[in-house]
Amino acid sequence: MNQNIEIIVDGQTYEAEENSLLIDLLIKHEIKVPYFCYHESLGADGNCRMCMVEIVGQKRPQIACDTLIKPGMEVHSKGEKIDTVRTNILELELINHPVDCPTCDQAGECSLQDFYMDYGLHTSKINVQEKVTHAKHVDLGANVMLDQERCVLCARCTRFTDKITHSHELGIIGRGDDARVSTMPGRPLSNPYAMNVVDLCPVGALTSKDFRFHQRVWFLKSAEAICQGCSTGCNIYIDHNKPKYRDDTVYRFRPRRNDAVNGFFICDDGRLSYKALEENRQRQTLLEGQEIETDAACSHLKALVQQHQGNITVIIDANLYTEEITALLVYAETIKAEVTAPLEFYNDANFEDDLLKSAQCAANYQSVLDLNLSTQAPDKKGLIINFNYPEQFHADTVVSFNTHQGAQASLIFPIASYSENSGTLTNKDGLEQFSKKAVTKNSPSPTILEWLERLKQ
Amino acid sequence: MMRTCQIVSQKFAIEDAHTLSIAQEHGAYDTLAKCQEFTPLEMIQIIKESGLRGKGGGGAPAGAKWALMPQDSEQSSVLVVNCDESEPGTFKDRQIITKDPHLLIEGILLTCYAIKAQDAYVYIRGEYFQFQKVLQRAIDEAEEAGFLKNINITLHRGAGAYICGEKSALLESLEGKRGHPRLKPKQPEPEWYFGQPTLVNNVETIASVPFIIQNGAEAYRAFGTEKSPGTLLFAMSGHVQNPGVYEAEFGVSMMDYINHYGGGIKNGKALKAVIPGGASTGVITAKEAEEVTLDYEALRSMGSALGTGGMIVMDESTCMVSVLKNLLEFYHEESCGQCTPCREGTGWANTLLGKILNKRGSSADINQLLEIADTMNGKTICVFAPAVSSVIVSFLTGFRDEFEVMV
Amino acid sequence: MSFTFTPENIKTIAKLKTRYPKPQALSLPCLWMAQYQEGFISIDAIDVIAEVTETPAMEIYRVATFYSMFHLQPITKKRVMVCKTLSCKLCGSEEILAHLSKREDVLVEEVECLGSCGSAPVMQIDDLYYEDLTTQKVDAVLEQL
Ligand SMILES: Cc1cc2nc3c(=O)[nH]c(=O)nc-3n(C[C@H](O)[C@H](O)[C@H](O)COP(=O)(O)O)c2cc1C
Ligand code: SF4
Ligand code: SF4
Ligand code: SF4
Ligand code: FES
Ligand code: FES
Repeated sequence: MNQNIEIIVDGQTYEAEENSLLIDLLIKHEIKVPYFCYHESLGADGNCRMCMVEIVGQKRPQIACDTLIKPGMEVHSKGEKIDTVRTNILELELINHPVDCPTCDQAGECSLQDFYMDYGLHTSKINVQEKVTHAKHVDLGANVMLDQERCVLCARCTRFTDKITHSHELGIIGRGDDARVSTMPGRPLSNPYAMNVVDLCPVGALTSKDFRFHQRVWFLKSAEAICQGCSTGCNIYIDHNKPKYRDDTVYRFRPRRNDAVNGFFICDDGRLSYKALEENRQRQTLLEGQEIETDAACSHLKALVQQHQGNITVIIDANLYTEEITALLVYAETIKAEVTAPLEFYNDANFEDDLLKSAQCAANYQSVLDLNLSTQAPDKKGLIINFNYPEQFHADTVVSFNTHQGAQASLIFPIASYSENSGTLTNKDGLEQFSKKAVTKNSPSPTILEWLERLKQ
Repeated sequence: MMRTCQIVSQKFAIEDAHTLSIAQEHGAYDTLAKCQEFTPLEMIQIIKESGLRGKGGGGAPAGAKWALMPQDSEQSSVLVVNCDESEPGTFKDRQIITKDPHLLIEGILLTCYAIKAQDAYVYIRGEYFQFQKVLQRAIDEAEEAGFLKNINITLHRGAGAYICGEKSALLESLEGKRGHPRLKPKQPEPEWYFGQPTLVNNVETIASVPFIIQNGAEAYRAFGTEKSPGTLLFAMSGHVQNPGVYEAEFGVSMMDYINHYGGGIKNGKALKAVIPGGASTGVITAKEAEEVTLDYEALRSMGSALGTGGMIVMDESTCMVSVLKNLLEFYHEESCGQCTPCREGTGWANTLLGKILNKRGSSADINQLLEIADTMNGKTICVFAPAVSSVIVSFLTGFRDEFEVMV
Repeated sequence: MSFTFTPENIKTIAKLKTRYPKPQALSLPCLWMAQYQEGFISIDAIDVIAEVTETPAMEIYRVATFYSMFHLQPITKKRVMVCKTLSCKLCGSEEILAHLSKREDVLVEEVECLGSCGSAPVMQIDDLYYEDLTTQKVDAVLEQL
């Protein structure tokens, strides 16, 4: 084990592990250094030369991503000398980069844009008429678009397909300033994590076809949530926005770093699962297909419960938050119903891989196991009350609480989806994680907890 | 004045010296028996004492590099001989592998003995295939004659990339990858080939070893200067009467060399400038050329470098702006493209110079060239970019007026 | 995959494998063999080389696009590579190039220093150098092809 030692950065003392990377320390303490090619998940490549710092005793500026922390080290991360170095390198970077921020999707989350604002390069001395031109709209596959002219050749995306997915679809080909990111002819980007390269790309060279031009990023709000695609429980941001006169809408999911779960990444299925979230939502309360008042629906359910005493099953969906499951167990107890949380629908061995994706395709799968809930098909079939489990069961009467349309039930209650509600989930490794509510609809559907409150009255 | 010295070129004039029988008639492989008198460490000591300096351009002391090689490593050590020879103005290693390939093989065997290597690779630029064949034939002959019992010598053909002459890029290429120079190690250590400790030396460096082992360190030091001992296959091209490769000792006067071996400037014209040691050394003016001697220290003191000793000679009619343009086209073509200042800087400098050459430039462009040169200096992965930087600066220092009249 | 190495090349590959610590080192030798076989490097050949070298095809593709002597498209005309770097330029390569530009039967390429500066100007055709060129000598060489 390396020892913890002290080093000085800009006159301040910091503690760090000996031989750890200087850039990690700078990032951790939010000491500003510009950088493109380094990424904590991919390691140092040293190609962008942007992360230059001064190290006392060294003649030349050094790149922080390839500098190991040593005892007694003294670092200057800013100052006129180092700023000039960075400005000049940045200026060269911009030579062949179209400064088309107004039409670039990445505007607002582009390192290049940030850095050149920081270093006052709005009026670049380089008057560019003879830029090297490259292809502007290359469809790489997997919803990822490449603009070769915007690319700064940091090799983050190619290192991702080499080191993380081992699928090797992307590579920098050619030499010198003809070098460019490419796939092999006829072999598109096609791995289940491909869209992470869009997040990794420090500039606007890689964009998501799915998200391109839908929204300017600075309008978006982010909520810290958990993906419900499977029991891995990847941490995500739900980026959403409520444009004027319209409803609050989810625009994308983005990975949120959690080293204990998903690191920096999420799978594409999880990322794109936001779409299904908004489509075909169950918004009305229905009795035999006809809309009814919620109060009347509640009375109706209570009457059904009376009528089927002793012959009731409550079905719990394994995606519900733990708080909801617990409340439903109490509810089942009060109405003396049997409880089951079938998992059949959520077992998918084909979904699993050795990166993130789990064969247990429900977010709270582990809770169901921990709580020792029955996972059998219901055998009390007087009344079935199904809380959002997607499979249909036959019974004398079926009542269903649903986020989405499609239930076959005589009485249907609409419920808030997970993005409209918060709660706890236990992932496959037993880690409890809290998912925050992101979206507030103009006319929100009640949550399960709210319905249960009403049923008590 | 010009003492004849033939340390590496002793058999160049002998007909068919590339064949084993003729080479052996003239002493090839005699040192193999002699080296058994020494332990590997003693061999390294002799090389150290000889002051032999790397002849691939950098002039690093060979002995110190050899001493970095582990003597008791679990992984076997590797010798890599650099015959990429792509530095414009340089065509010396080619003479060795075609005129006296057995000298190189002998040097390889001695070096492998000293660093305890079993595998040696010679990385040859792809264009030299016709010369590679000569070397291969010599290796085959040496193998048949039983000289290569303990050592494999494998020729590895490059495929057109100047940067593969840089040692770490060369090793990447030898590993089957793109020729991208590696990040520099934090402390002195050997090079690494697939994780095995590796020594990289130039062809001529290795070809100098048999002489030193045969005659001793002092015999080598009898040539050259205190700090630049021995000889080099200096070369001349461009505007000289008799271009070519002629071995000379370090420390001779540049003009003596050019006049003696090169027969002076072509067509009786006056000298204007010399690029002293391959295209990545800074240009010097005729006046400086009159004063300088051919050794590392003298050229360094002029702000240039000895490099490979391949002099490119230019007469009074030469337009220095178009010479720099020509060189920048080369650098632009040959930058590996890995790091930003070099990838973008070489292209941009070339564009700017094109503007100046087409009389569309301004004095601001000249200043900007210097700024780009500054950004390329000392901030990149390998020393390609700093070399380009120093070349730009040397042209704008020595011949600024020629640039200024164009803008 | 429609590309296969000739039996002779397969033998060479087997022998080379004993010479290097890892099969990846064979990528340049294999690319050369493929180029001699087909006249260029096809994607099919890249796939075969990827297998031989136990290296991802993308990596071989990247390598093939890095080195200037490899080409990934078939070339129909004879390639004449004329050195345009400084020593050759000082000794008249521009004249050679101008002379060659009139010919339509060959593909003239300007290349960087061939390491033959002492016998400038120089050109390369196939694997051979032609040195100390004059326009007459160029014509004579092309006549012989
Ligand atoms: C851009 C560049 C190109 C180089 N080209 C060559 C070359 O063609 N041949 C060579 O022997 N050394 C070349 N070198 C030097 C090598 O990196 C290395 O220092 C040398 O091969 C070591 O051998 P030596 O110490 O015997 O000279 C080059 C260096 C750089 C930075
Ligand atoms: S596309 Fe983006 S991530 Fe990939 S190399 Fe270019 S800038 Fe880097
Ligand atoms: S692995 Fe599972 S939890 Fe993670 S993003 Fe994919 S579907 Fe969502
Ligand atoms: S300085 Fe130039 S040649 Fe060297 S690694 Fe950087 S880009 Fe490549
Ligand atoms: S982040 Fe350090 S060189 Fe790119
Ligand atoms: S400049 Fe043409 S061979 Fe060197």
